[in-house]
Amino acid sequence: MPIRETFWNIPHWAEVAQYITALITVIVFLYGVGHRILRWRKGRPEKRPGNFWTRVWLVVLQVFGQRRTLDETFPGLMHFSIFWGMFVLAIGTAFATVDWDVTHLFFNFQILTGWFYIIFELTLDVLGLLVVVGLGMAVYRRYFTRPARLQNFPVKALEWDDMYVLIMLSFITLSGYLTEGLRIAVTQPDWAAWSPVGNAIATAFLSMGDPTNQTLHLTIWSLHILTAFGVLASIPFTKLFHMIAVPANIYFSSTEPAGKLSAAKVEDGSGVKEWKQFTWKQLLDFEACTRCGRCQDVCPAYASAQVLSPRNMMVKLDEHLWEKTGGHTLHGDIVSAAELWACTTCRACVQVCPAFIDHVTTFVDLRRHLVDLGSMDKMLQDTLANLGRYGNSFGQSERTRAKWTQGVQPAVKDARRESVEYLWFVGDYASYNATLTDITRKTADVFQKTGLNFGILFDGERNAGNDVRRVGEEGLFEMLADRNSQALAKCKFETIVTTDPHTYNTLKNEYAWNGNRPNILHYAELLDQLITSGQIKFSNKLGYKVTYHDPCYLGRYNGVYDAPRRVIKATGCELVEMPRHGDRAFCCGAGGGRIWMDEKDIKERPSESRIREAVTLNGVQTFVVACPKDLTMYRDAVKTTGNEKDMLVRDLIELVYEAL
Amino acid sequence: MKIAVPVKFVPDLVEELTIDPGGTALDTSWLRLIINEFDDHAVEQAILLKERVGGQVIVAMAEAEGADDFLFASAAKGADQLIRLTGDFSSSNNHALARALADLLKELKPDLILTGVQAHNDLDGSIGPLLAEYLGLPYVGYVAGLTAAADMVTVRKEYAGGLIAEMEVKLPAVLGIQAAEQPPRYVAYSKIRQVMSTAKIEERAVASLDLSGGITISRMFQPEVTERATMMGGSPEEVADKVIEIFKELGTL
Repeated sequence: MPIRETFWNIPHWAEVAQYITALITVIVFLYGVGHRILRWRKGRPEKRPGNFWTRVWLVVLQVFGQRRTLDETFPGLMHFSIFWGMFVLAIGTAFATVDWDVTHLFFNFQILTGWFYIIFELTLDVLGLLVVVGLGMAVYRRYFTRPARLQNFPVKALEWDDMYVLIMLSFITLSGYLTEGLRIAVTQPDWAAWSPVGNAIATAFLSMGDPTNQTLHLTIWSLHILTAFGVLASIPFTKLFHMIAVPANIYFSSTEPAGKLSAAKVEDGSGVKEWKQFTWKQLLDFEACTRCGRCQDVCPAYASAQVLSPRNMMVKLDEHLWEKTGGHTLHGDIVSAAELWACTTCRACVQVCPAFIDHVTTFVDLRRHLVDLGSMDKMLQDTLANLGRYGNSFGQSERTRAKWTQGVQPAVKDARRESVEYLWFVGDYASYNATLTDITRKTADVFQKTGLNFGILFDGERNAGNDVRRVGEEGLFEMLADRNSQALAKCKFETIVTTDPHTYNTLKNEYAWNGNRPNILHYAELLDQLITSGQIKFSNKLGYKVTYHDPCYLGRYNGVYDAPRRVIKATGCELVEMPRHGDRAFCCGAGGGRIWMDEKDIKERPSESRIREAVTLNGVQTFVVACPKDLTMYRDAVKTTGNEKDMLVRDLIELVYEAL
Repeated sequence: MKIAVPVKFVPDLVEELTIDPGGTALDTSWLRLIINEFDDHAVEQAILLKERVGGQVIVAMAEAEGADDFLFASAAKGADQLIRLTGDFSSSNNHALARALADLLKELKPDLILTGVQAHNDLDGSIGPLLAEYLGLPYVGYVAGLTAAADMVTVRKEYAGGLIAEMEVKLPAVLGIQAAEQPPRYVAYSKIRQVMSTAKIEERAVASLDLSGGITISRMFQPEVTERATMMGGSPEEVADKVIEIFKELGTL
């Protein structure tokens, strides 16, 4: 009957030594993990509510299913192979040990016998191959194809950490195979063919003779055991700690809406000045980072100026937590103001991170401290002052907020005076930007032609505060939100509609509403509903070939991807997607208050990169947007990239207006 | 060092200015007030000075809509004492305001008085020299930076044409600030809110204003629309010929 003596050729002293090593490993491991946990607990408290089983399911899907890791084919399969291979080998080895030294020793009973043993051997043998393939891919990628995102190291020593993991895992796998091969060479069991790799290795050693092979077997087995325990013990001290930190980070990831930024942690509204002011979850974020660099690849700030790499930020912050000497200050020595201000809060990094790190929340908390110091760009400072004084970023009188309505017939209703079904929250850009007045009027026109009962707040409206909050000016955000909430509380309406995704996001996810949130729609959603219900009927089929840009605060933040696409198709346009679309859409560069800052050292504006992406699409000459800021950003970008003749930037409402 | 900064609000030019039906003043119903930009710099300069040499900063102003917010913001930046003058300032002029401030300053006895060098509504001269006159103190205007010693300051005064003079001024003195050494700082709303719960604004009643020495406005009006301008191209000779022709047409030659 197929069976195997687990500690074949291992003298008793070696077996005992193995258990002593195991004990030391466990102690070192627990010490290391405990050290990490104590470190997290130095952070501020933060509640992570949410359903236990939802969280567990997420961990299962992301860890065992490697769901997000597999979003990228080569690195995904590479990691999948190493993960599953090592996982099964480790479980299998532990199982064989228990089988021999627990069940067999104490109960004289073995599970690993007969066919079950054969399947066990075959599985481990093949999965070892999977690890070899995975490690081969990893070595090839890191040292031969050398993708840019693995190259820049804010902390040089980490290069060795990466190498250590690859060397050790390779050694464990190869020495495991050798041990198996040597055993088979000596014992030559009938079922050796079920361990194809081990058997093949065995044939190479046959000629050396049993005594040599037995000595060699013991030597390699000892090295295998020492390396394996060494690696296990090193988990809390190396990159391998991600095996613990990443599942933990996924388990504790936020179940709140993506668009709801966590409030300032410090009671007086100021941000993070030193690392202990981060929450424990943020500290966990930093430690969960595996430096894979996917965030850096999708980051518009990195692409445009290479000042900010979300990956390097995580690496530097993690390093800062652990540094014992140097007395570096978090602001200035570790992170620079330029890095922090470069973030557009587009959330692309958060969306792709396989470790579920929330970079943006950390950046905003750090920005809050800069705001507290008053340390910011002159243009941003003036804008914030204007927002505080006039309630808009343009520094114009709030009395002129509804100037665009002059001449609109029939007159736009004042929602403060009469009850309406739809309260249109117009927003700063649509209200004040002179080049957008035409679009804003067309929106009013479409609403009126559709017979919507709508009104606006006129000079009662203030900037909704979405980007004020993301700049880090929490106090000003609260003031703006209070003003708007008070104005809205006095009006009678059923639904709020806005054309601005930023406004939409904060109204929907961040305003308090005293538990009585009204229905809030982006105009793309409203138009979609009106088309579906037949309230909007088109008389023209436009027939344009168009592409569509997903605004970050509509797509990634609020998951609205389909509504605008259905509207575009309903107007009779053919939609051609850009390579980066949906949740991978590339930011225009305006968000998070970037539109209020000077662009310094920009190599290529994100909006220009986006237009260049669009012009490569065959036959597409219309670039459709669903955000007033996008309209200004891309109209500029079309000019600066010299594509004025090839690409026309149009608002979604213009298509609807034309097709009516 | 005890530094006093008398400041004032001026009409905010973001709003359209309209003339009162009487024709000699601005229509106050639409008027909105904002800190005089130069005064804002004076506050900043005072705080910078305090940060460098220590001391105490007092900000004082006549009551107006939004005055408290400005005073609290100054406290959040680092001002130690906030004073609001109360009374009827509706028909005030700079002479009257300077007299009221001078009374207050005589009492406070600051070492240094910093104020904005000018304001766009200074119809009867700027506040600084008037204050200096009523207090019998030296005055230097157009100051853009200073260093303080025990009983004297060295000021950098800006002249036209990019010239800068450094001069020593014995304290106490009044300085008209053209620009602080750095732009007025931003102060976060959360900080202002914190200050509101701790800082106190002292009120000083001004019994009556002495308007003497001021000016009388006979007419206030919007710039009158003039004939449109014509741009003339060509060589200097051609332009000269055209100009002569035009003057002849107009009958001035």
